[in-house]
Amino acid sequence: MGKDECKTMLDALNKVTACYRHLVIALGSTSDSQNLREELKKTRKKAQELAVANRTKLTALLKDKSISKDDRAEYERLWVLFTSSMELLDVDMKRSLEIGQDFPLKVPTRHLIQTGMTGSTTTVAARAMSVQNMKYEADANIDTVDLKELETEIAQVDQMMEEMEMKVQVAPWAVEAKQEAGAELKSTVSVGNSSVGVISICEEEPKETVEGETGLMKVFAGIIFTVVLLIAGILGYLVINL
Amino acid sequence: MTIRNVRDHGQRYRPRMACLKKVENVVLEMQDPKSGVKSQTQRLVITSIPHKYILVLCNLMWDAVLLIWARAMGTMMVAFGYIYPLQDHKRLILKPDTSLYRFQTPYFWPAQQWPVEDTDYAIYLAKRNIRKKGMLELYEQEQYNNLYKWVNHKWDFIVMQAKEQYRAGKERKKPDRVVFDCQERAYWVVHRPPPGTVSAMDYGHDRMVDPNMEEKKTSDYYRRTYTTTYKEHDPFLHACLPSNPWLTDDVTYWTLNMPNVETPTKMRVECWTFSFGELLMDPRGRADFRLFLKKEFSGENLAFWEACEDLKWGAAETMKEKAQQIYKTFLARGAPRWINIDGKTMDITVKGLAHPHRYVLDAAQTHIYMLMKKDSYGRYLKSPVFKETQRKAIAPEPHRFTETQLEQNAKRRRPSLSPITLRQQEEEQKAKLAASGPVDITQVMSKLEKKQKA
Repeated sequence: MGKDECKTMLDALNKVTACYRHLVIALGSTSDSQNLREELKKTRKKAQELAVANRTKLTALLKDKSISKDDRAEYERLWVLFTSSMELLDVDMKRSLEIGQDFPLKVPTRHLIQTGMTGSTTTVAARAMSVQNMKYEADANIDTVDLKELETEIAQVDQMMEEMEMKVQVAPWAVEAKQEAGAELKSTVSVGNSSVGVISICEEEPKETVEGETGLMKVFAGIIFTVVLLIAGILGYLVINL
Repeated sequence: MTIRNVRDHGQRYRPRMACLKKVENVVLEMQDPKSGVKSQTQRLVITSIPHKYILVLCNLMWDAVLLIWARAMGTMMVAFGYIYPLQDHKRLILKPDTSLYRFQTPYFWPAQQWPVEDTDYAIYLAKRNIRKKGMLELYEQEQYNNLYKWVNHKWDFIVMQAKEQYRAGKERKKPDRVVFDCQERAYWVVHRPPPGTVSAMDYGHDRMVDPNMEEKKTSDYYRRTYTTTYKEHDPFLHACLPSNPWLTDDVTYWTLNMPNVETPTKMRVECWTFSFGELLMDPRGRADFRLFLKKEFSGENLAFWEACEDLKWGAAETMKEKAQQIYKTFLARGAPRWINIDGKTMDITVKGLAHPHRYVLDAAQTHIYMLMKKDSYGRYLKSPVFKETQRKAIAPEPHRFTETQLEQNAKRRRPSLSPITLRQQEEEQKAKLAASGPVDITQVMSKLEKKQKA
């Protein structure tokens, strides 16, 4: 079905956008490196391929006049998802261009901001590219060479978005969300449980809340137990006396 | 598609935010391992994070005066979000004790050209919701509910993106995850301050227009300047001085503003300064201007203009004679009151005069009008004649009538001067003017020549 294909493709684009954002945040800081620049480049290219694929699919679906109203509403919702993803990508690409220009890697007098992040972003990029391990094969001066390509790609994305705005007549504000407030809590229950084990993040947040919750359960169980005991004792006493 | 136009304009025209670029340079200098700020490693329970700073102020300066300056600079950097505190993260100040701070990553620096989007904030709140399992702080919860209402059409995207970003974040190592969470939290404390705190990013209302650019003179601009100039003169908006005759039945206002009154009111004189048209349309103003031109011996322009007006509005039967008269007096070579217009206009006018009609002198009249406006009007406003008139102008006191007085005024109502009388007065004035002494330089010169010959 066209809808399911669209959804999977949108999910993929969404994943790549999220990973790209994580990578751009690491730019300019101490976790910046040649590898990061290469990861950015690869993620970007993947995002663009996905974007083009999504666009052709969705425009084909929306142009079809013979679909039902519900279908059309669904496609419009998917279209809004797609355009929001593209906007996020667009902003991230422009920012990465700016920060990349401000923080060239090879200049010895220019220092990276010491933010405290030192790890590499290989795993994030691997997630974006859906591979197990990332291979690095770029030249030493990727940071300057890549920027020109990035400029052209940004221009392409801008043009694509303009075309989309012109050609597809979808009113984004008319779309109603399917998820309600707090929907993100539901499907991440499994993820949430595993994060309980993570240490409390900054000194402010007391660890006791995590332990406090389990402690509370214990106290509650204890209270119920004593109440049951008391009732049993009273009943026994009454039985004996009567 | 988000509607991006409005916010973007506002962000660009914020001259106060030009300081951000300078702060960025300072922050970059601070990174220098030799001359910058010293850092240390922080030990958390399971892991250790490098690059936490104790900003000991005595490292930065060596004088008591500079201490205050350094602290102010430091507080500003924290308030803008270039450095964030680790303990007490909601109060963005630089404390002079051993509290710890960390540098913010360039992506999260405040930037003039990147407006802070509500979509991003919604994604952040959703991520926080996941992490805290629904226990958001009160103001965050309120913001979350608001955003759910206002950005509802993107809500699916926000939820999807939040989940994905959360999962992608988990791919990084533990210390980096901790740092990233701190960074994001600090960023949003700066840009969406909790209630009761002061934000350094507060720049007042968004501006739609660049305040440094020259305003484009559209019809809106002209309408605005007109209303601001004429605001005081509008009898609907401001009280008429001394009193509105229609309301109080007291005709002082009309007698003071008669066409040929000796001393005009201050409001009337102010009106003449607004534009040349106002000056000419007011008979008293025109008389004043005529007086000024007489002193300068260049009255022929005004006389020509008046004659053209007479031709335009006059009766049809007298048109031919009037046109001939004007030609003889003003336009012909060697005429007694010759006006100075350029050759092309003169050609057109003379050709048109062969078959005169009402508007035959329009081109010449416009030329003379512009000449007077650009040249004589400016000089008139600075002249002693005008200054004298301004000084003598009266500013009548507003009337304060009681009920009985108003009734008496109503009883004493009389019709005004008959228009026939007014017309006669005008004619008398014109005759007087014509009979007065030489007004133009040509007349003066011809008089002098005659005297010499005699």
